[in-house]
Amino acid sequence: MSVEQVNGHAGIPMLDLSKVTKHFGGLAAVQDVDLQVWPQEIVSIIGPNGAGKTTVFNLITAIYRPSAGDVRLGGHTLVGLSPDQIVRRGIARTFQNIRLFNNMTVLENVLVGQHTQLKATVLGSLFHTPAVVREEEEARKRAIELLSFFGSELVTRQEEYVINLSYADKRRVEIARALASNPKLLLLDEPTAGMNEAETLEAVKYVRRLRDELGLTILLIEHKLAVTMGISDRISVLDYGRKIAEGLPEEVRRDEKVIAAYLGKASTGGEKAPVDEKAEE
Amino acid sequence: MSTAISSGMLHPAPDTRRLLIKWIVALLVPVIVFTLWSGESIINAVISPATASGDVPSDPISLIEAAVFTAAFYVAVLLLAGYLVAADSGRRGTIELWLDVLIFALVPLIFVILFGLIIGLALCAVVWPAYFYGRSLVRKARHYEPPPPLESLKVMNDEQRAALMSRASAGGLWFGIAFAAVSLIVDLVYFFTGTLPVILLIWAIVRTLILPVAGYFLGRLAGVIALRRALPQSENGNGGNGVGRGRDRLSRRQQLEVLSTTRAREEAQDLVPNDLPLRSSGAQRFYLILLLAFVLFYPVLDPFLFGSGTDGRLDGFGNAGYYVILALGLNIVVGFAGLLDLGYVAFFAIGSYAWGMVGSTQFGLLTGIHVNPQLWPWFFWPMLLGAALIAAFFGVLLGAPTLRLRGDYLAIVTLGFGEIVPVIFLELDKYTNGINGIVGVYSPALPGVDWTSSTPYYYLILALIAFVIFANIRLRDSRLGRAWIAIREDEVAAASSGVNLVNTKLFAFAAGAFFSGIAGAFHTAKLGSVSPDSFGFGDSVIYLAMVVIGGIGSIPGVIVGALAVYAVNEFILAQLDSLAAVPGSVLFTIHNGITHVIPGFTFGNIRNLVFGIILVVIMIFRPEGLIPSARRRRELHHAEEEGLGGDALDVAPGAPGFETEVRVE
Repeated sequence: MSVEQVNGHAGIPMLDLSKVTKHFGGLAAVQDVDLQVWPQEIVSIIGPNGAGKTTVFNLITAIYRPSAGDVRLGGHTLVGLSPDQIVRRGIARTFQNIRLFNNMTVLENVLVGQHTQLKATVLGSLFHTPAVVREEEEARKRAIELLSFFGSELVTRQEEYVINLSYADKRRVEIARALASNPKLLLLDEPTAGMNEAETLEAVKYVRRLRDELGLTILLIEHKLAVTMGISDRISVLDYGRKIAEGLPEEVRRDEKVIAAYLGKASTGGEKAPVDEKAEE
Repeated sequence: MSTAISSGMLHPAPDTRRLLIKWIVALLVPVIVFTLWSGESIINAVISPATASGDVPSDPISLIEAAVFTAAFYVAVLLLAGYLVAADSGRRGTIELWLDVLIFALVPLIFVILFGLIIGLALCAVVWPAYFYGRSLVRKARHYEPPPPLESLKVMNDEQRAALMSRASAGGLWFGIAFAAVSLIVDLVYFFTGTLPVILLIWAIVRTLILPVAGYFLGRLAGVIALRRALPQSENGNGGNGVGRGRDRLSRRQQLEVLSTTRAREEAQDLVPNDLPLRSSGAQRFYLILLLAFVLFYPVLDPFLFGSGTDGRLDGFGNAGYYVILALGLNIVVGFAGLLDLGYVAFFAIGSYAWGMVGSTQFGLLTGIHVNPQLWPWFFWPMLLGAALIAAFFGVLLGAPTLRLRGDYLAIVTLGFGEIVPVIFLELDKYTNGINGIVGVYSPALPGVDWTSSTPYYYLILALIAFVIFANIRLRDSRLGRAWIAIREDEVAAASSGVNLVNTKLFAFAAGAFFSGIAGAFHTAKLGSVSPDSFGFGDSVIYLAMVVIGGIGSIPGVIVGALAVYAVNEFILAQLDSLAAVPGSVLFTIHNGITHVIPGFTFGNIRNLVFGIILVVIMIFRPEGLIPSARRRRELHHAEEEGLGGDALDVAPGAPGFETEVRVE
């Protein structure tokens, strides 16, 4: 019986991965992974480097197509869709290695995020019809609103080219861009990577606010065990492409298989190490 | 606040006096040169047609048009005088400015007067980079640091605003006085040597009275314009004139402060007071208006400026025009969306043949419908849209199966199309008349317009270019344009933000093809014929070169790039050949010298060699193109601009520049 059934969630999960597998040539990057995410949960995927966590994200967002298995959102399969269709269904993501549009401004990046929410046609844009003008105006306002989720600093710097921002700010802009498409489910790939302790604490706060204030469901990949323990409702652990454990944070931290997996990787520390757990590449 | 000329204005304070001298000398010299060259002759021709030389048009309409342009020119100069004096922050030196004006205004003027428009500008293209380079060497040697962009930018109180206004009026007034004085002296000299008719002397006197007065009022107007670009007074940001863009709570000044140096400099360029007012956006508006007026009135002005041969020159400009449209179209594909298209000539060919097959007797052969040769040319206008749509349709057709390919593979496929399409036109000779091409293609029809001269084509292509520029700007700043740029920056991130890659790329292809269809129809109508051998791979390369040399993604850039490439390819080298035919000239000697070693040499023959050399030189020294888009320049020179040295990674944590260069890949 799965943890979810034990905990009494009703209905179907928002996101349902069943026996998802991905082969690259002879290598199975992800093998028979089952995962469910229920509405308004914060679920973390953790595991040593190379465990296949980002691959799982890429399978959900259709950057890869599963070799086997199914990915469902609200009961409907996502396999075979293109990445932009995934966005339209309500899933948005950020990237481990921040992929912003470097030579566009903060505001423009968030405006691109709104691409699926805008309906301007080519002719409308050409002739500046009132509907399009109004829509652009609203889009700008919305972008500023999204940026203000993180306080006023990004709003002040909205005309700055993102390439000039600090690392932490770039992450925030990426999240704002993801939020711009009005998602139900947000996939965050290592949102605290490269951050110091203060920045990490702040990131944890806003991840919680994303769920608490905006009602989002969040699936995150995280390397820092202390962060994961503090913020997740449930944790799934991957190792070598397979799920080796799953459950509440306290259960997972005591799970022998998990401890073995982490200690077994020569370069990672154990779970006792606090925030600064990022393994060397 | 009195509107009369206060005594303060007639005896300006010392710093104002310094500013006045700085700018009036800077402006006066080029303006006087221009006036002596032709400004004067235009006005004189209007007032006293009898004294005008033979080449010059004498019909009233042309004269009035020329006079209107000239009046507009002087009005703009007076406005500029007021604006520059008002907007200058005073931080950059006078000599520096005078040198700049010498090199960028006076020298081109002299080259154009001596050698004609195209060769003159080509010489500038040689002199200016040399000057830039020399100047940067000097600056490095003296450890020159440009002052921080925001230092002189402050919110002006009422007293300072009033001071600015009075500076502006003083600028206009004194320039008017200076210019009037010099002109009067020159005219008096002519008068006393007997070459000036009385009526022109009367005009000179009238002018001497009008100019200062006009200068004063135009200066005031310039002051108002300058104030529009000053930081808004209320510290709470909103309601500022000219800078209103819905800022929350923080003042504009504070917003500028948090921007990086590069970005702040970009923004500060718009504002007053300004370090380099000649380059500020306010001044740029004047230049743009002057340029537009010049281009619009050119057919009337040409005889005054360059003497006989107007029709030939206009013909050349008409041809250059469709290059511009092609460059703008390709700019959408390559510049906005970032797709390498090596076969753009295919769509140009499709557009050309569209009018070729429809707008000639070929249509009757194909469909059996007999068209009235008097009425059919009217069909050109709808067919302009038709050719564009047909080309766009083929853009979609050719793009759909191939746009899933990545980068280099897409480029090779487009290369293939560029080869296939002209061959199809060649081989389908039942429809296209094959190798012989189609001749006798109708020109357009418009009541009262004679399409056998070059002038109507000149205006037609201007109108078409205006439309294409308008469309480009609107597209670039729209949802679609943002999607294109996002794709160019990072395809995966774009797709993950909801951009449908295939459709958006298809749209880019279709839009590019649409504009080339317009160019094609125009080209065929003007030439009166179309044949398959005008379309080859070499042409696709030239179109690409226009975009790259001009500045990928930059609309003014690719326009200049197209004109530059056209000039080199079609004109300059051919011109050198005809100059070299003149015995005794320097070129003649050089030419003979070379033909001893390489028989059969002509300047025209080495066209591709020269072209190739220019491409290589530009890619090494100015890869962002002649007029790069702001993005591109930053892309390529980001580290230098942020004040980072070559070893950006050695910057210590906490120091400026630490975060910016550490890219997490």
